[in-house]
Amino acid sequence: MKNPFQDFRSVQYRKREIPLDRIVREKEETLELLVQGYLQLVEEEVRDLVWLVEESKVEKAYNAAIKRIDGSQYDPDDIDEFCALLDSSDKLPYLISGPAGIYISALVNCAREDHIVLSPKDYERSFHFLGYKLPEGKTLVLQGDVGDFAGSGLFGGRLIVEGSAGNWCGAGMMKGEIRVANNTGQNTGEWMRGGEIHVDGTIQSVGTKFYGNTGYRVLFGGKIYQKGKLLVPRALVKE
Amino acid sequence: MPQETNGALRETAHDIHRYIGDNLYFSRPDLEVKGEKFNSALLLTLLTGLRQGKALIIGEPGLGKTTSAEYVCSLLYRVPLGTIWGSEVSGHPEQTEEKIIGRPDLGRLNQGEEVVVWSHFVLLPTKIVDEINRLPETKQSMILDGVDRGNWEYLNDSVINREYCLFATANYQDGGTNTIIAPLIDRFDIMVESKHPGPNLAFHIGMTGANGSGLRNEELERGLHRVLNQRGSYEDRMEQAEELCNQFGEALTRGPGVRTLSRSDRETIRSQMDEIPFDVDANAFLRLVLSELSFCYHYGQRRFHEGCADGCHFTSYLCHTVRNCISNRFPKSARALSQALAWFLGEEQVGLEHLRAILPFTLAHRIQWKEETMARREKESRQDPLPIYMAKEAVREMHRRYIEQAPQLKSALAAACKITDGEALEPTQGDHPIYWEIRRDLGEEVLDR
Repeated sequence: MKNPFQDFRSVQYRKREIPLDRIVREKEETLELLVQGYLQLVEEEVRDLVWLVEESKVEKAYNAAIKRIDGSQYDPDDIDEFCALLDSSDKLPYLISGPAGIYISALVNCAREDHIVLSPKDYERSFHFLGYKLPEGKTLVLQGDVGDFAGSGLFGGRLIVEGSAGNWCGAGMMKGEIRVANNTGQNTGEWMRGGEIHVDGTIQSVGTKFYGNTGYRVLFGGKIYQKGKLLVPRALVKE
Repeated sequence: MPQETNGALRETAHDIHRYIGDNLYFSRPDLEVKGEKFNSALLLTLLTGLRQGKALIIGEPGLGKTTSAEYVCSLLYRVPLGTIWGSEVSGHPEQTEEKIIGRPDLGRLNQGEEVVVWSHFVLLPTKIVDEINRLPETKQSMILDGVDRGNWEYLNDSVINREYCLFATANYQDGGTNTIIAPLIDRFDIMVESKHPGPNLAFHIGMTGANGSGLRNEELERGLHRVLNQRGSYEDRMEQAEELCNQFGEALTRGPGVRTLSRSDRETIRSQMDEIPFDVDANAFLRLVLSELSFCYHYGQRRFHEGCADGCHFTSYLCHTVRNCISNRFPKSARALSQALAWFLGEEQVGLEHLRAILPFTLAHRIQWKEETMARREKESRQDPLPIYMAKEAVREMHRRYIEQAPQLKSALAAACKITDGEALEPTQGDHPIYWEIRRDLGEEVLDR
């Protein structure tokens, strides 16, 4: 039989897409890009077999993460999706909490948006280093409890933890503000160089080393408040 | 055909159009195509005549329905007005097959021979049925075949016209009119209204008159009468008639100064028109129109005696507002007339604008609207009789829908072409009936059972 559509043989065929299809496809592509970046980062980091928290190592991983996501277009929802994928998917065999958190922090720090909300309460796993090097002008809200090193190396941003933070919260932070609605773990504010940490619950312990070359607590290493009252450096001044 | 010939023939057609408009049929323009303004009745009867089509001209009594058809026939086919008058069939309840088509030759019948005396209406290429809706419905079927194919039968004889066009006029419904039966009305390519020209042109008509006396030629009319009454074969008589018609054409050039077309000119024009292709948009748009006027998701296609199923999803398309299924004569009419219009305007392709201009007139008499749809619209402000107005509105609506989804639709048709050719693609899905029809054509079962 004659092809009743032959008049359209030279017309270009474009797969028809409803707007929702396009949105879903773009989301999937973005997520795939983020996953690939993460896997490459993990490939590099896993060579060391054991991932140790050392300043130089963290810095190196962060810079590698920044390099991976350079030029990527994504939004806070994509970061949240990525976190959910890390938390649940079999697609990502290497979940190493440290690099994962650093990668998420790099995503947050490079995002176009200034105000980002993530929901760690929805994840079964705990991510470390969330809010790492959060820059000035950015606010990261973490709904739920977070792992260790939350807000470490904070660089002028505002980190709000609507739950509890683990150990080493605000470690080595330079400036900015961390607010924790519940409790923090040990070594809160270790190596802290500036900024403020506000904890509305209990602080298991504050760091023993604040910035300075004496190896002792010094006055200019930032401030830690507990339930609105200055905890450090007041105590240090007394010492 | 060389370009010069093409242009010369078009110029002649324009001359005829201009001559009638300037001297014989005074009318206001009511149709604009590609920036040019026309009177729809004059333009469409002329194109119908050129195309060997069939036109139904409606209007109030005395507003030039029959005379416009007579002028067009006379000038396009070089037939003197008196001959045309003598061949016209008038619709009235007592009309008989013997008066319309032919009768036995009584003298020969007495000698035991069965010879048919064909009416001039049957023999001449120009056919006018005046007040067709005064023919009773039972008698309308007598002219069905003749109207459709130019095939006329009486006793055991038949005549098949080698060239013909047909114009029928109809008054609006009154006590003496009948409904034109569906099979007959569907055979008309277009329906157009001969409108009142307005008081100023009407005054001019009253003062100066437009009697078309320049189209009379008694000598040639007598000659044609003799030829048509001869007992020779149809072909012989037509050859002789053509000679006289050509003489009339020369007389028209000498007298009123209007150039006309010979039979071979008309054949050339028709073949030129046939070669004008539809562009992709016009092609896709006509498919969309056909789908809206034939589609029924629930019952497979529109049928006159079936309504819409309860809860049907497709309520925003024309299939929900019409009762009947559009016939296959409709796309033929749409193609023929839009090609004719494109030719008349000197275009190389039939585009959306040509098709949009033609469609309302090819649809107005073919769509049977649901009563509630008619009732909803009949009081709306308008310039046309209700059927033409509704057809124009329907075309406007469908055109809007087409413009909204033209790229998707063309892509869907392109995909369907590839699928038919064997490529493994998914047919494009969409809400419009055309997408469902494409899927049906590709063998997909899209009915819910």
